[in-house]
Amino acid sequence: MFYGLSGVRHNSYVSDSKLFPVPADRNAVVFFLLLGLAAPYLVSSLYLNSYILPWLIWTAAVLGLNLVTGWAGQLHLGYAAVMAVGAYSAVHAAKFGIPWEFALLIGGLASSVIGSLFAFAALRTKGLYLALTTLAMQFVMDWVLTHSPTIAGGSHASLQSPTFALLGQDITSDAGLYYVAFGWCVLVTIFMLNLRRTGLGRALVAVREKDFAAAILGVNSFYYKLVAFAASSFIAGVSGAILVSTFYFLAAPEQFAVNVSIQVLAMVIVGGLGSILGSYLGAALILLMPGVVNQLFSLGANLLGLDLGIETLAHIPNAAYGALIVIFLMVEPLGLGKLYANVRDYLMVWPFDQLKK
Amino acid sequence: MAQPKTTATDQILSLNSIEVLYDSVLLAIKGVSIEVPRGGMVALLGSNGAGKSTTLKAISGLLKAERGKVSRGEICFDGKLIGNILPQDRVAMGICHVIEGRRVFEHMTPDENLEAAAPMSMSRQKVNSEKARIYEYFPRLAERKASQSGYLSGGEQQMLAIGRALMTQPRLLMLDEPSLGLAPFLVAEIFGIIQRINKEDGLSVLLVEQNALAALEIVSHGYLIENGRVVMHDSAEALKANSDIQEFYLGGGEGKNFHDIKHYSRRKRWLS
Amino acid sequence: MDLVFLAELTVNGALTGLLYSLFAIGLVLIYKSSSVPNLAQGALTMLGAYVVLAFSHNMGLPLWVAIPLAVVIMFFVGIGIEKVALRRLAGRPVIMILMMTMGIDIFLRGTTLAIWGGSSRSVDLGVSYEPLFVGDMLLSRIHIVGASVALALFVAFFLFFRSRLGIRLRAISDDYMASWSVGISVERGVGLSWGLASIVAVATGVIWGEIQGVDQSLSILLLKGLTVAVLGGLDSIIGAIVAGIILGILESVGSFYLDEIVGGGSRDLIVAAVLILTVMIRPHGLFGRHDIERV
Repeated sequence: MFYGLSGVRHNSYVSDSKLFPVPADRNAVVFFLLLGLAAPYLVSSLYLNSYILPWLIWTAAVLGLNLVTGWAGQLHLGYAAVMAVGAYSAVHAAKFGIPWEFALLIGGLASSVIGSLFAFAALRTKGLYLALTTLAMQFVMDWVLTHSPTIAGGSHASLQSPTFALLGQDITSDAGLYYVAFGWCVLVTIFMLNLRRTGLGRALVAVREKDFAAAILGVNSFYYKLVAFAASSFIAGVSGAILVSTFYFLAAPEQFAVNVSIQVLAMVIVGGLGSILGSYLGAALILLMPGVVNQLFSLGANLLGLDLGIETLAHIPNAAYGALIVIFLMVEPLGLGKLYANVRDYLMVWPFDQLKK
Repeated sequence: MAQPKTTATDQILSLNSIEVLYDSVLLAIKGVSIEVPRGGMVALLGSNGAGKSTTLKAISGLLKAERGKVSRGEICFDGKLIGNILPQDRVAMGICHVIEGRRVFEHMTPDENLEAAAPMSMSRQKVNSEKARIYEYFPRLAERKASQSGYLSGGEQQMLAIGRALMTQPRLLMLDEPSLGLAPFLVAEIFGIIQRINKEDGLSVLLVEQNALAALEIVSHGYLIENGRVVMHDSAEALKANSDIQEFYLGGGEGKNFHDIKHYSRRKRWLS
Repeated sequence: MDLVFLAELTVNGALTGLLYSLFAIGLVLIYKSSSVPNLAQGALTMLGAYVVLAFSHNMGLPLWVAIPLAVVIMFFVGIGIEKVALRRLAGRPVIMILMMTMGIDIFLRGTTLAIWGGSSRSVDLGVSYEPLFVGDMLLSRIHIVGASVALALFVAFFLFFRSRLGIRLRAISDDYMASWSVGISVERGVGLSWGLASIVAVATGVIWGEIQGVDQSLSILLLKGLTVAVLGGLDSIIGAIVAGIILGILESVGSFYLDEIVGGGSRDLIVAAVLILTVMIRPHGLFGRHDIERV
């Protein structure tokens, strides 16, 4: 089919550790990159800005969480809080008159600093206890946001984001905002793709598998946990800032509440721990699903002549969202990324799959 | 190799060329056949990773917990095929497996350990009388019955593990390396008690040991397993007299080097 | 600041704390048997209250029929959840187990609200809202009822874990493999603990539903319940009781002083701080076992 390993040979370590060792992968990535660049001309701006743009930003955020959870194996239930730090710092910086380029940087760095506090929790605990600590930190952050009017933007607890601008140019067109999100997502993806080729990426995996065993091998596990949290928080912060400045246009505490943390984690799980492609797929599925389910239910109710109350319809997407997580963990705990790999490997030799044995 | 001349009803347990697959790929046991006579004591000998523990787990059904399964062959206990029976039901039928490493319930007292193993259908009086019987076998346990099991010494924990198994009213007791990490005098004490239970209650025993010397003292038959296959089986006396066994498992004879050992194993595997 | 008022804060705090204990006992039951941190306990609590309401308000049954019926139903709901969802995740990394319970939480909450709607309703236990005067202190009757239920459940479970069935459950929590080897059905034991936790959820749901109305906010008890469970030690029922009282008092007295400084709403902050400090300083809690992660 489109993906094949036949004829792919690597005669040196350098060629084997290329970004895309398999040409088919590279071709696919180039194809989707071009598709992404051309998207504003292919898709109506409604779809572009209400579906594709948030999807790309969330994907970047999911990649960031995947770095710390999928790669470094540290549970993180306070990711939305870290995003909030970035979003609020960037918006405040921009309101103060700092150009957006630097505002985003400030947001990312502020998130890094706060996010590294989570790493100090990770120094002492792991697994469940780390999850609980980060969850508690999320609640603290929620509390700070809702109880400090100076941060959250007055008594209405909403903060207007200034017009987004890069290099002195105001970006207001739909296509322009889209390219900002697209650019950020591509940047994070390239970073993540390269990460697994570096010593840092390998060290993170070693820490994930057994941190004290990694320590015996000379991997300073605390240092790498700190790096993982800082890098992931930076990505979270910038993603949060871009999300507010190009999509919400208004920062509010509930955009970064605990359920958002769980949602990002759900995207990671549904996509597949440590899978880059999975991050894209997981974000897409979790974002699109409520709308689709709602449509399906109201369609089904119409067909069957049932009269579902508004309240029922409002809660069904939530139930379906929960069911989706449960079903994924039951059927394929490694998520969509693994499902894709299964299908790809199956099709690789199809219809001669008996040859595999 | 000579088959023991017995009829099927004399055997409490017989394995007929079983194979065990882990994770549907790893073949750990490759056609093992074993027979334990009713009221007899049989030892499974072999080195690390030979497949002794896996064989026991196949019999007790605990393979399930390690994603293994019996892929071929049949296990027959007391005239019934037990391949598809759940582990807890096999215990109810009378097979009890004392797993490797003295896994007592650490956060409970020895007394509670014994109670946990008593079948729910057993009456209160019977539980108490059984406990009294076990304390009679293992007086050391009676002394420590109210302390936390995790703090017992290795020998006491092993005794507790055996006592706990006896609470399930087994007819076949399978012991996985009861001598592991114990001082020789404790090994002698524990083996003595096993022998006594075997004599007094007619309990059949299948013993897995690396300490072949001690094991061959108390059993009547021994099987030697290597790489998931039975490479030799005979009466205990014959095994003790066998020069190869002396060489590799009993620590006697003049030193052949390691190459010869491997060579031996390979040759014997082809022959079996 | 007079002493009577401080005493009133303390006693009311302790009573509220015991209501958190009620919730935490459900968490402990499941954690004890299977080391699963059940983040769906909040949704189970909410579902329990809604099922009681479905019988009592929608079908018009008296409460003394509705509550036992709900207990039976929830017992099987709990067993079902374990059997369908959790059992096949045994041995998977904790992140997947956590996510599974969160998914169940979201699913149960969504389903419950889709069926019965989100508007707040009262259970009408028939406990008077008139405060009770003890000396100069004002105490809430429903809190006293709830605290008594918590203590009664504690005594019941304390005795249960000394019964033969309870000892078997404790054996399961100690060592799966050894339990199988002596013929204890680990699956049934873990299922049973889910069933029991769901029964506790009904009790929690009814009491808290009476206090603050039956609605989505019931599932938000999770953070407080978790904090109590962790502070007490995730596998200790006595820990849940003691930690509940401690957290309740801290919250009630602490928030009285803190609210003046930060301007209200410091209860959640205190809870989160207690959770973080517990995990940082003494992760196994006050009474928990000292094996957080096996090496």
